[in-house]
Amino acid sequence: MPAAARSIGEALVTIAGREGVQDDDRARTAAAVDGQLPRWVVRPASIDQLGRIVALAHDDGLAVVPRGGGSALELGHPPARVDVLVDLSGLDQVLEYNPDDLTITVQAGITAGTLATLLAPRRQFLALDPPGAAARTLGGITATNASGPLRARYGTMRDLLLGVRFVQADGVVTWGGSKVVKSVSGYDVPKLMVGALGTLGVLGELTLRLHPLPDAERSWLVLLASAEAAQAFIERVIASPLQPNRIEFFNDRALRSVPVEAAAAGVALSIGSVAEAVREQGERLGVMAKADGARIVPLPEGFWSRAARASTEGNGAVLHVVSLPSRLAETERAIGDAIRTAAPRGEVWISGCAGLGTFRVRVGNASAAETAVATTRLRARLMDLVGSVVIARGPAELRKAVDPWGPVETGPFALMRALKDEFDAKRVLNPGRFVGGL
Amino acid sequence: MPLSGTFLADLERIVGAEGLVRSAEGRLVYECDMHTFYKGAPDAVALPTRAEEVVAIVNLCRRERVPIVPRGSGTGLIGGAMAPLGGVMIGTNRMDRILEIDLTNRCATVQPGLINLSLTRAVATQGYFFAPDPSSQMVSSIGGNVATNAGGPHCLKYGITTNHVLGVELVTGTGELVRLGGKAERPGYDLVGVAVGSEGTFGIVTAATVRLLHVAEAVKTILASFTAIEDASEAVSAIIATGIVPAALEMLDAVMIRAINEGTGAGYPKDAAAVLLIELDGPAAEVEAQGERAARICWARGALEVRVARDDAERALLWKGRKEAAGAVGRLAPTYLLQDAVVPRSKLPAIMRELIAIGARHRVQIANVFHAGDGNLHPLILYDDRVPEELERAKAANEELLLACIAMGGTVTGEHGIGLDKAKNLPFQYADADLNFMYRLRRAFDPDGIMNPGKLLPSHPACGEGFRPARPRVPEGAWI
Ligand SMILES: Cc1cc2nc3c(=O)[nH]c(=O)nc-3n(C[C@H](O)[C@H](O)[C@H](O)COP(=O)(O)OP(=O)(O)OC[C@H]3O[C@@H](n4cnc5c(N)ncnc54)[C@H](O)[C@@H]3O)c2cc1C
Repeated sequence: MPAAARSIGEALVTIAGREGVQDDDRARTAAAVDGQLPRWVVRPASIDQLGRIVALAHDDGLAVVPRGGGSALELGHPPARVDVLVDLSGLDQVLEYNPDDLTITVQAGITAGTLATLLAPRRQFLALDPPGAAARTLGGITATNASGPLRARYGTMRDLLLGVRFVQADGVVTWGGSKVVKSVSGYDVPKLMVGALGTLGVLGELTLRLHPLPDAERSWLVLLASAEAAQAFIERVIASPLQPNRIEFFNDRALRSVPVEAAAAGVALSIGSVAEAVREQGERLGVMAKADGARIVPLPEGFWSRAARASTEGNGAVLHVVSLPSRLAETERAIGDAIRTAAPRGEVWISGCAGLGTFRVRVGNASAAETAVATTRLRARLMDLVGSVVIARGPAELRKAVDPWGPVETGPFALMRALKDEFDAKRVLNPGRFVGGL
Repeated sequence: MPLSGTFLADLERIVGAEGLVRSAEGRLVYECDMHTFYKGAPDAVALPTRAEEVVAIVNLCRRERVPIVPRGSGTGLIGGAMAPLGGVMIGTNRMDRILEIDLTNRCATVQPGLINLSLTRAVATQGYFFAPDPSSQMVSSIGGNVATNAGGPHCLKYGITTNHVLGVELVTGTGELVRLGGKAERPGYDLVGVAVGSEGTFGIVTAATVRLLHVAEAVKTILASFTAIEDASEAVSAIIATGIVPAALEMLDAVMIRAINEGTGAGYPKDAAAVLLIELDGPAAEVEAQGERAARICWARGALEVRVARDDAERALLWKGRKEAAGAVGRLAPTYLLQDAVVPRSKLPAIMRELIAIGARHRVQIANVFHAGDGNLHPLILYDDRVPEELERAKAANEELLLACIAMGGTVTGEHGIGLDKAKNLPFQYADADLNFMYRLRRAFDPDGIMNPGKLLPSHPACGEGFRPARPRVPEGAWI
């Protein structure tokens, strides 16, 4: 190893301690991102250390790749460079929990699972349920703006993140937002950090809005003859006084993987409220399903975690498709067509927050090249829908063959680039991975 | 600096004579928002009808480095839509059309000058509404709501404006017309999220796509009075702790109750020191069950009385006092300073004690009407503007109160925004590095600093060119 690099390694040890810095081949290989080995794997034990690590990288022109639970490292372009992989799992402390205010401040490396366990005795929860949440860090969930079925009622991290402490590209530790549930003091900096993939700052600390767990919750599955029928049913539910906290669409294959019952399409709903209201709304749901000639079955406990697991099974690519609720059936067909045309033996599992037009698509039996063709085809089909197709998971080969983010309009992109230039001119943070190669 | 004749002629070519206000009397109308303390008339007011005109105005001003101040209905409470440095004000009143209502996708696209309530009225018969409901919703514009990220009594359950904005069309400080976000979300930085609440410092919102919600099946309004504000505050916490998220949870303190009772008379109990207004909405069965639970909690905290509205007329009656609050204090003093700080909800009893002490210390009367559910205070610090020294005392009390809120983990403003008024208070809450980050954020949208200059960010070294926040220490070594 060249002399200069050795002294950077020593500097990192000075900051994070011997136990916090690894540069052996095994550790580096285990931490590879898209096949690129970092030169160091550093695990800071405090935000102060995190700031100093990033400052050092900045001064030496090194690229920093933050890693939370490591579950979304296949999102985005393969990184342009990987020098220092910052493992944030050591920043896993709860800093301040105020149950009476329904707020909590945690370090970004804590997992959603650990947080859920901590909140359960007070019957509170963080209303975010992306697949695999238990093992994912909140920093990772924030950086990727990951969400699950609960967004139908509670929104996404964008609606739950109140304040954020992050490390800018030059190492300066910065705070944005507030620790209370309502604030318009200055620009809404937390919004900028949600979904930015750590390219404007490494997330260190998050203040989150919590929700009370409903007294009771029950779930049902409505089995329908087609995606069109599912769309019509969903539209009626949304226009009714019912207040489901989840409304998920499932295509035939996704239904079979759960598995409850077979049908061409299914809509799973859950209702959380006081017990009386859950029962009453459940009855109304039954009436609505029957009026549509659809069968409705109660869902067993554990259905939602099984569905989440099923949506990430195997190692095929996962696409996030966004369209509009009014185009549900059309989008479902477009997804199926695009994949089957490109990959004759291809399989598609589609599930998604049907009331919002967002879909999670798992592809099976398709090569990277075939998936790339399908992605491009699907983008072309959906173009007039103003939506998007993002590759959330897939081999580097796929994400090199086709832009994993898809096109971003020039006007907004100019602003995004201006922000990146302003806050990370030297391209220290996750270089190359974000939209347009930012 | 007065505008040149050619500049004015160019401006007139863009918006036409009927869209340009040049006369001194005409401009006077625009010299302040509802925080009438801060005055500054623009040198001209342009009233465009289309986004393209806005682009042309911005480009013209940019060429001549003339400041631009956007203005909606001018109901801001912060010294926002006024021109301390003169320049051109762009009023959006003539851009007040609904461009699209898309009920299947539950959203609408509107021009910025549309009045908040007009949108709800347009979709009410189909059972929908636009959730952000600032008390000014009958007059304030949606563009202004977006620019200030306005809240309202019902944002406890439904969230503030930002939670309802899907997309904005913005003419930035560089004269670019950009469409950010939209009906369907797109990858990239959340530019909509930062543009909302930027108070016209990033650019002018020329259209917004906002969410529409389905009207709840049932509404229940409960009014509970207490002899001690602590009891009322504890009832607030207890209600939330049981898992109820009321649509609204508003509180009035003793001074306010007296003022209201002396006026039209909402008929609050005379010896009440606090009145709590609780509104629940949702599916009927849920509202019924939660209403009973909330009432029980109030009784358990020693409520003097608990009234439940049986119909819309009674509901309106319970809200009457709350809605008249700001007017009612007029009977106690000629003017007031209005505060908008937030404390964590659990700190309500503590801040109310502190507030009474501060009032006593500075010999000012403080009346309170506030969004208790989210800890958003609205103390009205009363003073007589004919007595010069009273204003000074009111200001001192105001600042002490702000600092007390922040010391309890709160924030300077919960919904009104910063404007000219609270910019100086931001350093209470943010370190230099944080302010500097915001300053640079603004620069990405408005590199020349022509959009609403002087607002939102303080004149502070951290908000200036050349400032570098202190960086963490890096170990010394031979590698550099
Ligand atoms: C009686 C009363 C009650 C109120 N109640 C509430 C309340 O409950 N909650 C609350 O949050 N506020 C409340 N307000 C404050 C005020 O009504 C809100 O801030 C409102 O959002 C302002 O809207 P406006 O159209 O009047 O904006 P203006 O006052 O005209 O402007 C406000 C700010 O936004 C900028 N701006 C306006 N339009 C645009 C645009 N198109 N593009 C870019 N920038 C723009 C202006 O430059 C200014 O900085 C109240 C005010 C009054 C007088």
